[in-house]
Amino acid sequence: MDIKRIARDAVLTAVALTIFIVELQIPAPVPIPGVKLGLANIVTLTALFTLGPWDALAVLLCRVLLGAAFAGNMMALLYSLTGGLLAFLAAAPMRKLLTERQIWVASVFSAMAHNIGQVLAAVLVTATPALFVWLPPLLISGVVTGLFTGLAGQFAVRRLGKYLRHTNGK
Amino acid sequence: MAKTGTWIAVIAVILLLSVAASLLLFSRPAAGHTAEIYVDGALYKRVDLSRITSPERIEVKTERGVNILLAEPGRIRVESADCPDKVCVEAGWLASSAAPIVCLPHRVVIKLTGETALDAEAG
Amino acid sequence: MRRTASALLCLALLLALAGCAPQAETSTVFAMDTVMTLTAYGDRACVDDAVSLIQELEARLSVTAADSDIARVNGSGGGDAAPETAALLKRALELCKLTGGALDVTVYPLVRAWGFTTGAYRVPEDAEIAELLTYVDHTAVKLDGQTVSLPAGAMLDLGAVAKGWTGDKIAALWREAGVKSGLINLGGNVQTVGGKPDGSDWVVGIRDPFSEGLLGAVSARDLAVITSGGYQRYFEQDGVRYCHIIDPKTGRPADSGLASVTVVGEEGVLCDGLSTALYVLGPEEAVRLWRENTGFDLVLVTDGGEVILTEGIEGRFTPMGAYTDKEIKVMRRG
Repeated sequence: MDIKRIARDAVLTAVALTIFIVELQIPAPVPIPGVKLGLANIVTLTALFTLGPWDALAVLLCRVLLGAAFAGNMMALLYSLTGGLLAFLAAAPMRKLLTERQIWVASVFSAMAHNIGQVLAAVLVTATPALFVWLPPLLISGVVTGLFTGLAGQFAVRRLGKYLRHTNGK
Repeated sequence: MAKTGTWIAVIAVILLLSVAASLLLFSRPAAGHTAEIYVDGALYKRVDLSRITSPERIEVKTERGVNILLAEPGRIRVESADCPDKVCVEAGWLASSAAPIVCLPHRVVIKLTGETALDAEAG
Repeated sequence: MRRTASALLCLALLLALAGCAPQAETSTVFAMDTVMTLTAYGDRACVDDAVSLIQELEARLSVTAADSDIARVNGSGGGDAAPETAALLKRALELCKLTGGALDVTVYPLVRAWGFTTGAYRVPEDAEIAELLTYVDHTAVKLDGQTVSLPAGAMLDLGAVAKGWTGDKIAALWREAGVKSGLINLGGNVQTVGGKPDGSDWVVGIRDPFSEGLLGAVSARDLAVITSGGYQRYFEQDGVRYCHIIDPKTGRPADSGLASVTVVGEEGVLCDGLSTALYVLGPEEAVRLWRENTGFDLVLVTDGGEVILTEGIEGRFTPMGAYTDKEIKVMRRG
């Protein structure tokens, strides 16, 4: 395996992990379970739109696993993983549909998918269908936070894209 | 490639629908009069808040951790918990029957029942 | 296209932040010995006007304030009352007649003797009660236009109807001002204006006379819901409980077999006066009076804990708590 690729993805994972850990210190802005900015998604998004789905998935999985280990909360791994994978699955196919100026759209959809995943996981784990009432407010929060991280990611892609792609070595 | 305007419109429609649904679900005034505490989806305890006259603490102990609830006349909240995220504590008083308090790490759900949400009390 | 879409997005975000339900305007007032909460949707001025109205009515109707209309009449055996006071007295006298004196605006000397106006509770001697009873007679009150005259020793007290009347006045004020949705809670005397802002009915709980909880709830739209019960104010002496509702016939706390009476109807003053009178009369007489009249429905709770409804309220009453499993008796007309 290309050593440059490993090094680059490791750096991206480290950046994502740092953002993730820092975000843990920020208290939730609203007392709704699952509402957070999801700043680490900026990195996943950047990787997805510059390097393609496989590198993005690798960065995401490493970040989620290490993040849960560092935060000392392996219980949350389940929610992080389902949410992260759903977010990825929502964003990945949009890679072909969007121009470089529309990357934020993918982020909005992936944030919404993430929140739908969280509600689903919460409903399944607690066996309480009543928790579906959180879906609409979480979707609103998904649009707002997705917009924010998406624009940040789009900015990163435009600024860092050529350097990241350069390390592809193809 | 679709126009950016189309994407904005799609997202705006989703957003409007969510706003409408949220308002519908959460604008209902408070509240049922009975709090039901569920652990793992099973009823753990039922508290008639209209019969509580002085503040009362309820301990919800599971193998995953402990949540201390505080019940007052007509309302209930999670006062403290040893869960990692504390979302249940920050949720504050359980005010609307539409929105239960959830402690996901401990799989604890507190919700209000007793269909009728009271607007006033005669007597 | 893009500009419209952006505008739409901004609008949606704004909505998400602000919400779009009409604003609830609320005020809390301490008046007539209780806490009053007024809520009108969409109009601040209406709530402020209602607060002034309450203060004005209290100043006129209070039996304890030295310069009220009622205190002046009581002090001098008669005189001119303000048009509003006279109108309430007229309606109150009609209700005294309707209830055969179970409601009596002249029962005040006895209420005072038992200490319910001052809090200095005591059980009067039989002789004192017998003497004071000679002053109790609503038919002896003469009202000619705005001029009131009382026999010597008699005293008026409109306390049993004042809150219901106040609720009616506020409701009328709000309806005139175009308020579509309002809730007037005068210390447990509830008057509703329209329904809730979302179009559904207001839900008014009824206190359980035997606990701090509720016995049930009534859905109401443009209706008053008013409860009287011995549990509301009482004192105990030598193991006997004496409640604040005095039977004008015996001069002693009412003991008719009812624990609470809730009257639901469009006219607050009628509901208020009847709730007191029917508490004095007891379950059989209460149902008889309901059969002979219209404009109100009843939720009665007997001393034994039995709940009796009249048919007009059957579909709007939901039992709660311990009453969920109890059998509820529904009385029908004819």
